[in-house]
Amino acid sequence: MRPAAEMKDFRRDLVSLLPKLRRFAMTLTRNANDADDLVQEVCERAINRSHLWNGEGRLESWIYTMTRNLWVDEVRKRKVRGAGSMVDIFDQDELNVEAAAEKAVFVNQLQKMILSMPEGLASVFLLVNVEGHSYRETATILGIPIGTVMSRLSAARLRLAAMLSEDTERRA
Amino acid sequence: MQQTKGLALEVRLSAYIDGELGEAERSELDALLARDDDARTLLEKLKAGSAFGNRAFEDFLHDPVPLALVRQIKQGGGISPKLERVTTSNHPKRSVRVLPRLVAASVGLLLTGGVAGFILGSMANFVDPAAETVASPWIDEIADYHRIYSRQKAHLVEVPASQASHIETWLTSSVGVPFKIPDLTRKGLAFEGARLLVANGKPVAQLVYRDREGEIFAICFLRGGNGTQGNEFSETIRGDLGFVSWQKEGSSFVVVGPSSAAGLQDLAHTVAAVI
Repeated sequence: MRPAAEMKDFRRDLVSLLPKLRRFAMTLTRNANDADDLVQEVCERAINRSHLWNGEGRLESWIYTMTRNLWVDEVRKRKVRGAGSMVDIFDQDELNVEAAAEKAVFVNQLQKMILSMPEGLASVFLLVNVEGHSYRETATILGIPIGTVMSRLSAARLRLAAMLSEDTERRA
Repeated sequence: MQQTKGLALEVRLSAYIDGELGEAERSELDALLARDDDARTLLEKLKAGSAFGNRAFEDFLHDPVPLALVRQIKQGGGISPKLERVTTSNHPKRSVRVLPRLVAASVGLLLTGGVAGFILGSMANFVDPAAETVASPWIDEIADYHRIYSRQKAHLVEVPASQASHIETWLTSSVGVPFKIPDLTRKGLAFEGARLLVANGKPVAQLVYRDREGEIFAICFLRGGNGTQGNEFSETIRGDLGFVSWQKEGSSFVVVGPSSAAGLQDLAHTVAAVI
């Protein structure tokens, strides 16, 4: 069992990580409610499995990988649950994101723009461009090939540049 | 280093920006950028997208995290964060199957929370909040004071930080606890000033600090008191506030701050060492 002092440190580190973890979860789920549920589930799992954390590397990489795995599981479960229905859960999520954006779910316009990006782009951009993970680390966290990381990253940058341009025109 | 030869130019330039290319490819792209206006335009576009995205993502960090989740992580209590969610306003009502999900979540969380709470509780030295309430009523009074005074914009403190030496003399004689005002700038906290409070019928010194985001933290202490005995630090959470208390040389101390503040224990250790 993990010593109490280490456990306390682990929990403290986990609390410190929460804003970033929630942000990462938002890029996966693309809506706040699912992101909050996912973050909670990840934290429970991380605490229960903290004995597996060897303290090497970045804690967030370990937690992020867990987050991605849990989200993939959740999407699979939803697909199974939704198998009998007319609408695929992925399509449904896309529609929900659009609808949510229209209803101004997220007060901030920038957040809305980010969450409207095609699936997979925001996570890669966040990990590499914002948080400074290498391509290899990002590929490991997201469970995708490095080539996909590279193509998604350039696509995200171009998409964001287009958003910037639209935003500038709108303000002018 | 990545090999990008044969890939689309935007992919290659993107890797160029990130320093993920080997020397040979980098030199090749340097030469291309020197002679090709379109390539330079594309590079600038990618950089503009990067800068814009950075700003946008920074914004996500200002969203509040669920406080109940913070509590659960810190204390291992059987709380259901899903039912006590604190997030941004204007969330949409979940359109389908809300009730079954809530019921399932509640039952699941009750079970997992209980088990996690038992495990964590047995491993850590956190004090049961209920027990703490009985043992240290002065902390409840401090919580009430903190909630009221921390919202005061014009009258946050009774004596401002500019009169630091007066504060030390005044509160030492009023409370009966000799102290030095801790310099917590390395912890990102600026000293704002002090107040004299009353708790358990005794005078209590309150040193008030503000962090870079405007959150208010306080160090409170009184002579005697019935907080945690010995040199142990006890952490507890009351609603939106977190407390770390300890006793030293016949006096009781507590550091108060937002319950979402991750470094409250560290802060208390620092204060205990220098006050």
